[in-house]
Amino acid sequence: MEDTRQSQFRKALREVKNLPTLPGIIAKLTRMAENPDTTTEQMGKVISKDHILAAKLLKLVNSAFYGFPQKISSLNSAIILLGFNVIKSLIISSSIFELMESQDVELWEHSLGCAVVCSVLANRLGVSDPEEVSTAGLIHDIGKVAIKMELRQEFETLRQMVHDRQIPMIEAEKELLGIDHAEVGGWLAKSWNLPAKLVEPIACHHNPLEAKDEQLCASIIHFSDILIRGLGYGHGDDVWVPPLSKTAWQLLNLTPQDLDEILEEVEEKLWDVKGFSLEIQAELESGMTT
Amino acid sequence: MKRILVAGEKIISAPEHRIVLEAKGYQLLLMHDLHSAVSLILEDPPDMLIMEKTFGEDKAPLALLNAVKGCLQKTNIPVILIVDDKQALAGLDWQQYAVDDFLVRPFAPEVLRARIRLAEARMIRVFDNNPLSRLPGNTSILRAIQKAIDSDESHGVCYIDIDNFKPYNDRYGFSQGDDVILMVARIAVNVIDELAREGSFVGHVGGDDFVFIVKEEKVKPVCERILANFEIVRNMFIPAEDLKAGCYVEKDRQGRETVFGLLSLSIAVVMTGAHHFIHYGEVSTLASEVKHFVKKKEGSNYMIDRRSQV
Repeated sequence: MEDTRQSQFRKALREVKNLPTLPGIIAKLTRMAENPDTTTEQMGKVISKDHILAAKLLKLVNSAFYGFPQKISSLNSAIILLGFNVIKSLIISSSIFELMESQDVELWEHSLGCAVVCSVLANRLGVSDPEEVSTAGLIHDIGKVAIKMELRQEFETLRQMVHDRQIPMIEAEKELLGIDHAEVGGWLAKSWNLPAKLVEPIACHHNPLEAKDEQLCASIIHFSDILIRGLGYGHGDDVWVPPLSKTAWQLLNLTPQDLDEILEEVEEKLWDVKGFSLEIQAELESGMTT
Repeated sequence: MKRILVAGEKIISAPEHRIVLEAKGYQLLLMHDLHSAVSLILEDPPDMLIMEKTFGEDKAPLALLNAVKGCLQKTNIPVILIVDDKQALAGLDWQQYAVDDFLVRPFAPEVLRARIRLAEARMIRVFDNNPLSRLPGNTSILRAIQKAIDSDESHGVCYIDIDNFKPYNDRYGFSQGDDVILMVARIAVNVIDELAREGSFVGHVGGDDFVFIVKEEKVKPVCERILANFEIVRNMFIPAEDLKAGCYVEKDRQGRETVFGLLSLSIAVVMTGAHHFIHYGEVSTLASEVKHFVKKKEGSNYMIDRRSQV
Protein backbone atom coordinates (compact mmCIF):
# COMPACT_ATOMS: atom_id res chain seq x y z
CA MET A 1 0.00 0.00 0.00
CA GLU A 2 2.68 2.41 1.10
CA ASP A 3 4.77 1.41 -1.88
CA THR A 4 2.06 2.15 -4.40
CA ARG A 5 1.59 5.63 -2.94
CA GLN A 6 5.29 6.25 -3.16
CA SER A 7 5.44 5.07 -6.72
CA GLN A 8 2.54 7.41 -7.51
CA PHE A 9 4.50 10.31 -6.08
CA ARG A 10 7.51 9.30 -8.08
CA LYS A 11 5.48 9.04 -11.21
CA ALA A 12 3.90 12.46 -10.70
CA LEU A 13 7.27 14.05 -9.99
CA ARG A 14 8.90 12.45 -12.99
CA GLU A 15 6.30 13.95 -15.24
CA VAL A 16 6.91 17.47 -14.03
CA LYS A 17 6.87 19.73 -17.07
CA ASN A 18 6.99 23.45 -16.70
CA LEU A 19 8.29 24.73 -13.37
CA PRO A 20 7.15 28.29 -12.77
CA THR A 21 9.49 31.26 -12.40
CA LEU A 22 9.12 34.48 -10.43
CA PRO A 23 7.06 36.97 -12.49
CA GLY A 24 9.53 39.80 -11.78
CA ILE A 25 12.34 37.93 -13.48
CA ILE A 26 10.25 37.08 -16.53
CA ALA A 27 9.07 40.70 -16.75
CA LYS A 28 12.66 41.93 -16.66
CA LEU A 29 13.83 39.39 -19.25
CA THR A 30 10.89 40.06 -21.55
CA ARG A 31 11.71 43.75 -21.49
CA MET A 32 15.37 42.99 -22.16
CA ALA A 33 14.51 40.70 -25.08
CA GLU A 34 12.46 43.44 -26.71
CA ASN A 35 15.37 45.87 -26.60
CA PRO A 36 17.52 45.42 -29.71
CA ASP A 37 20.66 46.52 -27.83
CA THR A 38 20.47 43.73 -25.26
CA THR A 39 23.30 41.24 -25.55
CA THR A 40 23.15 37.51 -24.96
CA GLU A 41 25.61 38.03 -22.14
CA GLN A 42 23.31 40.46 -20.33
CA MET A 43 20.40 38.03 -20.62
CA GLY A 44 22.69 35.27 -19.40
CA LYS A 45 23.57 37.23 -16.30
CA VAL A 46 19.93 37.52 -15.30
CA ILE A 47 19.15 33.90 -16.12
CA SER A 48 22.12 32.80 -14.01
CA LYS A 49 20.41 34.41 -11.05
CA ASP A 50 17.31 32.25 -11.25
CA HIS A 51 17.33 28.60 -10.19
CA ILE A 52 14.38 27.62 -12.37
CA LEU A 53 15.53 29.27 -15.60
CA ALA A 54 19.06 28.02 -15.01
CA ALA A 55 17.74 24.47 -14.68
CA LYS A 56 15.66 24.88 -17.84
CA LEU A 57 18.59 26.22 -19.79
CA LEU A 58 20.71 23.24 -18.77
CA LYS A 59 17.88 20.86 -19.56
CA LEU A 60 17.58 22.35 -23.04
CA VAL A 61 21.26 22.34 -23.93
CA ASN A 62 21.71 18.81 -22.62
CA SER A 63 18.66 17.42 -24.40
CA ALA A 64 19.32 14.89 -27.14
CA PHE A 65 17.72 17.33 -29.58
CA TYR A 66 20.32 19.99 -29.10
CA GLY A 67 23.08 17.47 -29.42
CA PHE A 68 25.00 17.74 -26.16
CA PRO A 69 23.51 15.21 -23.72
CA GLN A 70 25.18 15.04 -20.30
CA LYS A 71 27.88 17.38 -21.38
CA ILE A 72 27.19 20.99 -20.47
CA SER A 73 27.47 21.90 -16.79
CA SER A 74 28.13 25.62 -17.19
CA LEU A 75 25.48 28.25 -17.72
CA ASN A 76 27.83 30.45 -19.72
CA SER A 77 28.49 27.63 -22.13
CA ALA A 78 24.80 26.80 -22.34
CA ILE A 79 24.03 30.40 -23.26
CA ILE A 80 26.78 30.53 -25.90
CA LEU A 81 25.58 27.28 -27.47
CA LEU A 82 21.86 28.05 -27.44
CA GLY A 83 22.08 31.65 -28.62
CA PHE A 84 19.82 34.66 -28.31
CA ASN A 85 16.83 33.33 -30.26
CA VAL A 86 16.52 30.16 -28.23
CA ILE A 87 16.88 32.10 -24.98
CA LYS A 88 14.08 34.38 -26.13
CA SER A 89 11.93 31.35 -26.88
CA LEU A 90 12.76 29.96 -23.45
CA ILE A 91 11.47 33.14 -21.84
CA ILE A 92 8.28 33.19 -23.92
CA SER A 93 7.61 29.56 -23.06
CA SER A 94 8.27 29.99 -19.35
CA SER A 95 5.36 29.97 -17.00
CA ILE A 96 5.15 32.11 -13.90
CA PHE A 97 3.71 31.46 -10.47
CA GLU A 98 -0.02 32.03 -10.71
CA LEU A 99 -0.18 32.78 -7.07
CA MET A 100 3.12 33.92 -5.75
CA GLU A 101 3.87 33.36 -2.14
CA SER A 102 6.61 34.94 -0.07
CA GLN A 103 8.02 31.47 0.35
CA ASP A 104 8.75 31.22 -3.41
CA VAL A 105 10.86 34.35 -3.10
CA GLU A 106 12.55 32.95 -0.01
CA LEU A 107 13.53 29.76 -1.81
CA TRP A 108 14.77 31.78 -4.77
CA GLU A 109 16.91 33.93 -2.46
CA HIS A 110 18.17 30.86 -0.67
CA SER A 111 19.19 29.24 -3.97
CA LEU A 112 20.93 32.35 -5.20
CA GLY A 113 22.67 32.87 -1.85
CA CYS A 114 23.80 29.27 -1.82
CA ALA A 115 25.31 29.72 -5.30
CA VAL A 116 27.22 32.76 -4.05
CA VAL A 117 28.71 30.83 -1.13
CA CYS A 118 29.51 27.88 -3.43
CA SER A 119 31.38 30.15 -5.79
CA VAL A 120 33.42 31.71 -2.96
CA LEU A 121 34.27 28.28 -1.54
CA ALA A 122 35.02 26.68 -4.90
CA ASN A 123 37.44 29.46 -5.82
CA ARG A 124 39.10 29.30 -2.46
CA LEU A 125 39.49 25.52 -2.53
CA GLY A 126 40.87 25.72 -6.07
CA VAL A 127 38.44 23.26 -7.65
CA SER A 128 38.96 22.82 -11.38
CA ASP A 129 35.64 24.33 -12.45
CA PRO A 130 34.20 26.76 -9.88
CA GLU A 131 31.31 27.78 -12.14
CA GLU A 132 30.06 24.19 -12.20
CA VAL A 133 29.95 24.11 -8.38
CA SER A 134 28.05 27.38 -8.14
CA THR A 135 25.61 26.16 -10.82
CA ALA A 136 24.99 23.01 -8.79
CA GLY A 137 24.49 25.25 -5.76
CA LEU A 138 21.99 27.41 -7.63
CA ILE A 139 19.76 24.49 -8.61
CA HIS A 140 20.33 22.25 -5.57
CA ASP A 141 16.76 22.68 -4.26
CA ILE A 142 14.98 22.23 -7.59
CA GLY A 143 13.31 19.14 -6.10
CA LYS A 144 11.47 21.39 -3.65
CA VAL A 145 9.85 23.34 -6.47
CA ALA A 146 8.82 20.11 -8.17
CA ILE A 147 7.23 18.75 -4.99
CA LYS A 148 5.35 21.97 -4.43
CA MET A 149 4.06 22.14 -8.00
CA GLU A 150 3.28 18.49 -8.67
CA LEU A 151 2.10 17.30 -5.25
CA ARG A 152 0.11 20.30 -4.15
CA GLN A 153 -2.03 18.55 -1.55
CA GLU A 154 0.88 16.69 -0.06
CA PHE A 155 2.86 19.90 0.03
CA GLU A 156 0.19 21.52 2.20
CA THR A 157 0.35 18.53 4.53
CA LEU A 158 4.14 18.81 4.65
CA ARG A 159 3.88 22.47 5.63
CA GLN A 160 1.39 21.59 8.30
CA MET A 161 3.70 18.90 9.66
CA VAL A 162 6.62 21.34 9.78
CA HIS A 163 4.47 23.91 11.52
CA ASP A 164 2.68 21.66 14.00
CA ARG A 165 5.47 19.32 14.95
CA GLN A 166 8.37 21.71 14.49
CA ILE A 167 10.34 19.27 12.38
CA PRO A 168 12.61 20.11 9.44
CA MET A 169 11.02 19.94 5.99
CA ILE A 170 13.29 17.13 4.90
CA GLU A 171 12.09 14.94 7.80
CA ALA A 172 8.48 15.63 6.86
CA GLU A 173 9.22 14.75 3.23
CA LYS A 174 10.80 11.45 4.17
CA GLU A 175 7.94 10.59 6.48
CA LEU A 176 5.07 11.50 4.18
CA LEU A 177 6.50 10.85 0.73
CA GLY A 178 9.19 8.30 1.50
CA ILE A 179 11.62 10.44 -0.51
CA ASP A 180 13.16 13.85 0.01
CA HIS A 181 13.69 16.88 -2.20
CA ALA A 182 17.39 16.11 -2.71
CA GLU A 183 16.57 12.72 -4.20
CA VAL A 184 13.78 14.25 -6.31
CA GLY A 185 16.15 16.96 -7.56
CA GLY A 186 18.69 14.28 -8.39
CA TRP A 187 16.30 12.32 -10.59
CA LEU A 188 14.99 15.40 -12.28
CA ALA A 189 18.53 16.45 -13.11
CA LYS A 190 19.22 12.95 -14.34
CA SER A 191 16.07 12.70 -16.41
CA TRP A 192 16.95 16.06 -17.96
CA ASN A 193 20.29 14.61 -19.05
CA LEU A 194 22.34 17.00 -16.93
CA PRO A 195 25.97 15.91 -16.50
CA ALA A 196 26.70 13.54 -13.60
CA LYS A 197 28.86 16.31 -12.16
CA LEU A 198 25.67 18.22 -11.39
CA VAL A 199 23.32 15.30 -10.68
CA GLU A 200 25.30 13.80 -7.82
CA PRO A 201 25.89 16.96 -5.81
CA ILE A 202 22.17 17.85 -6.07
CA ALA A 203 21.08 14.37 -5.01
CA CYS A 204 23.58 14.24 -2.13
CA HIS A 205 23.54 17.77 -0.79
CA HIS A 206 22.13 16.66 2.55
CA ASN A 207 24.36 13.63 2.74
CA PRO A 208 27.55 14.29 0.80
CA LEU A 209 29.05 10.97 1.85
CA GLU A 210 26.69 9.21 -0.51
CA ALA A 211 28.35 10.93 -3.45
CA LYS A 212 30.67 8.57 -5.28
CA ASP A 213 32.52 10.77 -7.74
CA GLU A 214 31.67 14.29 -6.70
CA GLN A 215 32.16 14.24 -2.97
CA LEU A 216 33.99 17.55 -2.83
CA CYS A 217 31.37 19.37 -4.87
CA ALA A 218 28.57 17.78 -2.82
CA SER A 219 30.35 18.83 0.37
CA ILE A 220 30.74 22.40 -0.83
CA ILE A 221 27.01 22.61 -1.58
CA HIS A 222 26.17 20.91 1.69
CA PHE A 223 28.18 23.45 3.66
CA SER A 224 27.05 26.43 1.55
CA ASP A 225 23.41 25.45 2.11
CA ILE A 226 24.05 25.45 5.85
CA LEU A 227 26.06 28.66 5.84
CA ILE A 228 23.50 30.66 3.88
CA ARG A 229 20.68 29.35 6.09
CA GLY A 230 22.78 30.36 9.08
CA LEU A 231 23.21 33.85 7.64
CA GLY A 232 19.44 34.08 7.36
CA TYR A 233 19.34 34.97 3.67
CA GLY A 234 16.28 33.28 2.22
CA HIS A 235 15.04 29.93 3.46
CA GLY A 236 13.54 26.68 2.28
CA ASP A 237 10.19 26.04 3.94
CA ASP A 238 11.48 25.71 7.49
CA VAL A 239 13.55 27.94 9.72
CA TRP A 240 16.19 25.47 10.83
CA VAL A 241 19.76 25.13 9.77
CA PRO A 242 20.38 21.56 8.51
CA PRO A 243 22.92 19.45 10.44
CA LEU A 244 26.52 19.56 9.25
CA SER A 245 28.12 16.33 8.09
CA LYS A 246 31.35 15.88 9.98
CA THR A 247 33.11 14.10 7.14
CA ALA A 248 32.12 16.82 4.69
CA TRP A 249 33.49 19.40 7.08
CA GLN A 250 36.78 17.51 7.35
CA LEU A 251 36.96 17.18 3.59
CA LEU A 252 36.65 20.95 3.19
CA ASN A 253 39.45 21.38 5.73
CA LEU A 254 38.68 24.99 6.64
CA THR A 255 40.26 26.82 9.57
CA PRO A 256 38.43 29.43 11.67
CA GLN A 257 40.62 32.02 9.97
CA ASP A 258 39.41 30.73 6.55
CA LEU A 259 35.83 30.95 7.72
CA ASP A 260 36.22 34.58 8.75
CA GLU A 261 37.56 35.46 5.35
CA ILE A 262 34.90 33.44 3.56
CA LEU A 263 32.15 35.15 5.52
CA GLU A 264 33.54 38.54 4.69
CA GLU A 265 33.69 37.71 0.99
CA VAL A 266 30.19 36.23 1.02
CA GLU A 267 28.72 39.27 2.75
CA GLU A 268 30.27 41.51 0.16
CA LYS A 269 28.91 39.48 -2.75
CA LEU A 270 25.49 39.22 -1.15
CA TRP A 271 25.11 43.00 -1.48
CA ASP A 272 25.01 42.61 -5.20
CA VAL A 273 22.48 39.80 -4.94
CA LYS A 274 20.30 41.74 -2.53
CA GLY A 275 20.29 44.67 -4.92
CA PHE A 276 19.13 42.38 -7.69
CA SER A 277 16.41 40.95 -5.49
CA LEU A 278 15.08 44.43 -4.76
CA GLU A 279 15.17 45.24 -8.46
CA ILE A 280 13.15 42.13 -9.30
CA GLN A 281 10.54 42.94 -6.68
CA ALA A 282 10.29 46.50 -7.96
CA GLU A 283 9.89 45.08 -11.46
CA LEU A 284 7.00 43.02 -10.25
CA GLU A 285 5.26 45.97 -8.62
CA SER A 286 5.68 48.23 -11.66
CA GLY A 287 4.42 45.36 -13.83
CA MET A 288 1.31 45.10 -11.71
CA THR A 289 0.49 48.78 -11.86
CA THR A 290 0.84 49.06 -15.65
CA MET B 1 5.13 10.74 -39.58
CA LYS B 2 5.15 14.45 -40.34
CA ARG B 3 4.15 16.62 -37.43
CA ILE B 4 2.56 19.94 -38.30
CA LEU B 5 2.18 22.73 -35.79
CA VAL B 6 -1.07 24.52 -36.51
CA ALA B 7 -1.09 27.95 -34.86
CA GLY B 8 -4.45 29.66 -34.92
CA GLU B 9 -8.06 29.04 -34.09
CA LYS B 10 -9.69 28.70 -37.45
CA ILE B 11 -7.22 26.98 -39.74
CA ILE B 12 -8.43 23.46 -39.24
CA SER B 13 -11.86 24.39 -37.97
CA ALA B 14 -13.67 22.41 -40.65
CA PRO B 15 -13.49 18.70 -39.91
CA GLU B 16 -12.85 17.84 -43.56
CA HIS B 17 -9.49 19.64 -43.39
CA ARG B 18 -8.48 17.56 -40.49
CA ILE B 19 -9.65 14.30 -41.95
CA VAL B 20 -7.87 14.86 -45.26
CA LEU B 21 -4.56 15.60 -43.57
CA GLU B 22 -4.74 12.94 -40.90
CA ALA B 23 -5.69 10.32 -43.45
CA LYS B 24 -2.44 11.13 -45.24
CA GLY B 25 -0.42 10.49 -42.12
CA TYR B 26 0.09 14.05 -40.90
CA GLN B 27 -0.08 14.61 -37.19
CA LEU B 28 -1.69 17.96 -36.39
CA LEU B 29 -0.61 19.79 -33.26
CA LEU B 30 -3.17 22.51 -32.65
CA MET B 31 -2.01 25.44 -30.56
CA HIS B 32 -4.03 28.47 -29.64
CA ASP B 33 -1.52 30.57 -27.76
CA LEU B 34 2.04 31.73 -28.29
CA HIS B 35 3.30 30.30 -25.03
CA SER B 36 2.43 26.68 -25.86
CA ALA B 37 3.44 27.02 -29.51
CA VAL B 38 6.91 28.24 -28.57
CA SER B 39 7.21 25.54 -25.88
CA LEU B 40 6.59 22.94 -28.55
CA ILE B 41 9.18 24.41 -30.88
CA LEU B 42 11.68 24.47 -28.06
CA GLU B 43 11.03 21.02 -26.65
CA ASP B 44 9.80 18.91 -29.51
CA PRO B 45 9.93 20.80 -32.80
CA PRO B 46 7.42 20.01 -35.54
CA ASP B 47 8.31 19.40 -39.21
CA MET B 48 6.20 22.25 -40.47
CA LEU B 49 4.30 25.29 -39.25
CA ILE B 50 0.96 26.53 -40.54
CA MET B 51 0.12 29.86 -38.97
CA GLU B 52 -2.66 32.37 -39.16
CA LYS B 53 -1.57 35.94 -39.74
CA THR B 54 -3.92 36.89 -36.93
CA PHE B 55 -2.52 34.30 -34.52
CA GLY B 56 -2.47 35.41 -30.86
CA GLU B 57 -1.75 38.97 -29.83
CA ASP B 58 -0.26 41.54 -32.21
CA LYS B 59 3.39 40.49 -32.13
CA ALA B 60 2.76 36.78 -31.61
CA PRO B 61 3.10 35.69 -35.27
CA LEU B 62 6.52 37.32 -35.58
CA ALA B 63 7.67 35.93 -32.24
CA LEU B 64 6.63 32.48 -33.40
CA LEU B 65 8.47 32.91 -36.72
CA ASN B 66 11.54 33.94 -34.77
CA ALA B 67 11.31 30.88 -32.57
CA VAL B 68 11.08 28.68 -35.67
CA LYS B 69 14.03 30.43 -37.26
CA GLY B 70 16.06 30.10 -34.08
CA CYS B 71 15.21 26.44 -33.69
CA LEU B 72 18.51 24.62 -33.63
CA GLN B 73 17.30 21.06 -33.89
CA LYS B 74 15.57 21.59 -37.18
CA THR B 75 16.55 24.32 -39.52
CA ASN B 76 14.29 24.75 -42.49
CA ILE B 77 10.96 24.20 -40.87
CA PRO B 78 8.69 25.32 -43.74
CA VAL B 79 6.07 27.89 -42.80
CA ILE B 80 2.73 28.45 -44.53
CA LEU B 81 0.95 31.69 -43.66
CA ILE B 82 -2.83 31.83 -43.75
CA VAL B 83 -4.47 35.20 -44.43
CA ASP B 84 -8.09 36.22 -44.40
CA ASP B 85 -8.26 38.52 -47.38
CA LYS B 86 -6.17 39.36 -50.39
CA GLN B 87 -5.84 42.97 -49.29
CA ALA B 88 -3.67 41.92 -46.36
CA LEU B 89 -1.06 40.58 -48.78
CA ALA B 90 -0.34 43.83 -50.56
CA GLY B 91 1.40 45.64 -47.75
CA LEU B 92 3.04 42.63 -46.14
CA ASP B 93 6.77 42.90 -45.47
CA TRP B 94 8.06 39.50 -46.64
CA GLN B 95 11.48 40.13 -45.09
CA GLN B 96 9.80 40.27 -41.75
CA TYR B 97 7.33 37.50 -42.51
CA ALA B 98 9.99 35.06 -43.63
CA VAL B 99 7.52 32.36 -44.67
CA ASP B 100 7.70 29.84 -47.50
CA ASP B 101 4.19 30.04 -48.82
CA PHE B 102 0.76 31.51 -48.13
CA LEU B 103 -2.89 30.68 -48.58
CA VAL B 104 -5.86 32.99 -48.73
CA ARG B 105 -9.06 31.85 -47.11
CA PRO B 106 -11.30 30.15 -48.08
CA PHE B 107 -9.45 27.20 -49.53
CA ALA B 108 -10.30 23.56 -50.09
CA PRO B 109 -8.64 20.87 -47.96
CA GLU B 110 -7.01 19.48 -51.12
CA VAL B 111 -5.35 22.83 -51.78
CA LEU B 112 -3.91 22.94 -48.28
CA ARG B 113 -2.62 19.42 -48.69
CA ALA B 114 -1.03 20.25 -52.04
CA ARG B 115 0.69 23.29 -50.54
CA ILE B 116 2.06 21.17 -47.72
CA ARG B 117 3.47 18.64 -50.18
CA LEU B 118 4.90 21.40 -52.30
CA ALA B 119 6.67 22.90 -49.28
CA GLU B 120 8.13 19.48 -48.45
CA ALA B 121 9.36 18.96 -51.98
CA ARG B 122 10.89 22.42 -52.16
CA MET B 123 12.71 21.80 -48.91
CA ILE B 124 14.36 18.67 -50.28
CA ARG B 125 15.36 20.49 -53.48
CA VAL B 126 17.26 23.26 -51.71
CA PHE B 127 18.79 20.93 -49.17
CA ASP B 128 22.49 20.80 -49.63
CA ASN B 129 22.83 21.26 -45.88
CA ASN B 130 25.35 19.34 -43.88
CA PRO B 131 23.55 16.47 -42.14
CA LEU B 132 25.37 17.03 -38.84
CA SER B 133 25.32 20.81 -38.41
CA ARG B 134 22.38 21.39 -40.78
CA LEU B 135 24.27 24.39 -42.13
CA PRO B 136 24.32 25.09 -45.89
CA GLY B 137 26.89 23.02 -47.79
CA ASN B 138 29.25 23.65 -50.66
CA THR B 139 26.82 24.67 -53.39
CA SER B 140 25.42 27.40 -51.17
CA ILE B 141 28.90 28.39 -49.94
CA LEU B 142 30.23 28.93 -53.46
CA ARG B 143 27.16 30.92 -54.35
CA ALA B 144 27.53 33.05 -51.20
CA ILE B 145 31.22 33.75 -51.93
CA GLN B 146 30.38 34.75 -55.49
CA LYS B 147 27.67 37.04 -54.18
CA ALA B 148 30.17 38.66 -51.77
CA ILE B 149 32.66 39.21 -54.63
CA ASP B 150 29.99 40.76 -56.83
CA SER B 151 28.72 43.02 -54.06
CA ASP B 152 29.71 46.70 -53.92
CA GLU B 153 30.50 46.40 -50.25
CA SER B 154 33.63 44.69 -48.97
CA HIS B 155 33.03 41.45 -47.11
CA GLY B 156 35.29 39.22 -45.08
CA VAL B 157 35.23 35.60 -46.24
CA CYS B 158 36.35 33.71 -43.13
CA TYR B 159 37.46 30.08 -43.02
CA ILE B 160 37.27 28.37 -39.62
CA ASP B 161 39.35 25.30 -38.95
CA ILE B 162 39.59 23.30 -35.72
CA ASP B 163 43.23 22.75 -34.70
CA ASN B 164 44.26 19.34 -33.38
CA PHE B 165 40.94 17.89 -34.41
CA LYS B 166 42.33 14.63 -35.75
CA PRO B 167 44.19 13.66 -32.56
CA TYR B 168 41.05 14.64 -30.59
CA ASN B 169 39.01 12.24 -32.71
CA ASP B 170 41.61 9.50 -32.26
CA ARG B 171 41.67 9.96 -28.53
CA TYR B 172 37.98 10.36 -27.70
CA GLY B 173 36.22 8.80 -30.67
CA PHE B 174 34.20 10.05 -33.62
CA SER B 175 31.04 10.70 -31.71
CA GLN B 176 32.85 13.15 -29.42
CA GLY B 177 34.45 14.66 -32.49
CA ASP B 178 31.02 15.22 -34.00
CA ASP B 179 29.95 17.00 -30.83
CA VAL B 180 32.89 19.37 -31.19
CA ILE B 181 31.95 20.12 -34.80
CA LEU B 182 28.39 20.82 -33.73
CA MET B 183 29.66 23.03 -30.92
CA VAL B 184 31.73 25.15 -33.30
CA ALA B 185 28.77 25.43 -35.68
CA ARG B 186 26.52 26.68 -32.88
CA ILE B 187 29.06 29.17 -31.62
CA ALA B 188 29.60 30.64 -35.09
CA VAL B 189 25.89 30.83 -35.94
CA ASN B 190 24.96 32.41 -32.61
CA VAL B 191 27.75 34.99 -32.65
CA ILE B 192 26.96 36.05 -36.20
CA ASP B 193 23.27 36.12 -35.45
CA GLU B 194 23.92 38.48 -32.59
CA LEU B 195 26.69 40.73 -33.91
CA ALA B 196 26.25 40.72 -37.67
CA ARG B 197 22.89 39.39 -38.64
CA GLU B 198 22.41 41.43 -41.79
CA GLY B 199 23.97 40.21 -45.01
CA SER B 200 25.89 37.42 -43.32
CA PHE B 201 26.28 33.76 -44.16
CA VAL B 202 27.50 30.64 -42.35
CA GLY B 203 28.21 27.39 -44.17
CA HIS B 204 29.78 24.03 -43.40
CA VAL B 205 32.34 22.87 -45.98
CA GLY B 206 32.54 19.48 -44.30
CA GLY B 207 34.49 17.82 -41.51
CA ASP B 208 35.97 20.47 -39.25
CA ASP B 209 35.89 23.26 -41.86
CA PHE B 210 33.43 26.11 -41.86
CA VAL B 211 33.05 29.32 -43.82
CA PHE B 212 31.32 32.49 -42.76
CA ILE B 213 30.91 35.76 -44.57
CA VAL B 214 30.29 39.07 -42.82
CA LYS B 215 30.67 42.71 -43.80
CA GLU B 216 34.24 43.95 -43.50
CA GLU B 217 33.67 46.09 -40.42
CA LYS B 218 32.18 43.12 -38.57
CA VAL B 219 35.12 40.78 -39.16
CA LYS B 220 37.11 41.71 -36.07
CA PRO B 221 34.31 41.72 -33.49
CA VAL B 222 32.86 38.48 -34.88
CA CYS B 223 36.21 36.64 -35.00
CA GLU B 224 37.14 37.81 -31.52
CA ARG B 225 33.83 36.75 -30.03
CA ILE B 226 33.90 33.35 -31.74
CA LEU B 227 37.37 32.66 -30.36
CA ALA B 228 36.45 33.89 -26.86
CA ASN B 229 33.28 31.80 -26.77
CA PHE B 230 35.17 28.78 -28.03
CA GLU B 231 37.66 29.13 -25.18
CA ILE B 232 34.79 29.05 -22.65
CA VAL B 233 32.83 26.18 -24.14
CA ARG B 234 35.79 24.04 -25.20
CA ASN B 235 36.42 23.00 -21.60
CA MET B 236 33.10 21.15 -21.51
CA PHE B 237 34.42 18.83 -24.23
CA ILE B 238 37.75 17.88 -22.70
CA PRO B 239 38.05 15.62 -19.63
CA ALA B 240 39.38 17.35 -16.50
CA GLU B 241 42.67 15.46 -16.37
CA ASP B 242 43.64 16.40 -19.96
CA LEU B 243 42.51 19.95 -19.38
CA LYS B 244 44.78 20.12 -16.37
CA ALA B 245 47.75 18.73 -18.29
CA GLY B 246 47.06 21.16 -21.14
CA CYS B 247 48.06 18.60 -23.78
CA TYR B 248 48.09 14.90 -24.51
CA VAL B 249 50.30 12.34 -26.21
CA GLU B 250 48.92 10.50 -29.24
CA LYS B 251 50.41 8.82 -32.27
CA ASP B 252 50.70 11.12 -35.29
CA ARG B 253 49.99 10.17 -38.90
CA GLN B 254 53.32 8.33 -39.12
CA GLY B 255 52.61 6.40 -35.94
CA ARG B 256 55.13 8.30 -33.83
CA GLU B 257 54.18 9.46 -30.37
CA THR B 258 53.66 13.19 -30.44
CA VAL B 259 52.46 15.79 -27.95
CA PHE B 260 49.30 17.51 -29.14
CA GLY B 261 47.77 20.69 -27.81
CA LEU B 262 44.13 20.81 -26.76
CA LEU B 263 41.52 21.96 -29.25
CA SER B 264 41.80 25.49 -30.61
CA LEU B 265 40.40 27.45 -33.57
CA SER B 266 42.09 29.13 -36.50
CA ILE B 267 40.25 31.60 -38.68
CA ALA B 268 41.71 32.74 -42.01
CA VAL B 269 40.11 35.87 -43.44
CA VAL B 270 40.13 37.31 -46.96
CA MET B 271 38.55 40.72 -47.59
CA THR B 272 36.81 40.93 -50.93
CA GLY B 273 37.24 44.72 -51.13
CA ALA B 274 41.04 44.56 -51.13
CA HIS B 275 41.25 42.44 -54.29
CA HIS B 276 39.80 42.28 -57.74
CA PHE B 277 38.37 38.82 -57.51
CA ILE B 278 36.32 37.57 -60.41
CA HIS B 279 35.79 33.98 -59.47
CA TYR B 280 35.16 32.37 -56.07
CA GLY B 281 38.07 30.00 -56.65
CA GLU B 282 40.48 32.90 -56.24
CA VAL B 283 39.15 33.58 -52.75
CA SER B 284 39.71 30.04 -51.55
CA THR B 285 43.22 29.92 -53.01
CA LEU B 286 44.21 33.04 -51.14
CA ALA B 287 42.45 31.81 -48.00
CA SER B 288 44.48 28.61 -47.95
CA GLU B 289 47.68 30.69 -47.95
CA VAL B 290 46.43 32.65 -44.95
CA LYS B 291 45.32 29.46 -43.28
CA HIS B 292 48.82 28.07 -43.61
CA PHE B 293 50.16 30.97 -41.53
CA VAL B 294 47.41 31.19 -38.94
CA LYS B 295 47.62 27.46 -38.22
CA LYS B 296 51.28 27.81 -37.34
CA LYS B 297 50.47 30.09 -34.42
CA GLU B 298 49.81 28.48 -31.09
CA GLY B 299 46.30 28.48 -29.60
CA SER B 300 43.22 30.14 -31.10
CA ASN B 301 43.83 32.94 -33.59
CA TYR B 302 42.42 34.74 -36.57
CA MET B 303 44.41 36.33 -39.35
CA ILE B 304 43.36 38.70 -42.12
CA ASP B 305 45.29 38.40 -45.40
CA ARG B 306 48.10 40.93 -45.54
CA ARG B 307 47.02 42.75 -48.65
CA SER B 308 43.67 43.47 -47.02
CA GLN B 309 45.29 45.27 -44.15
CA VAL B 310 46.83 48.29 -45.91
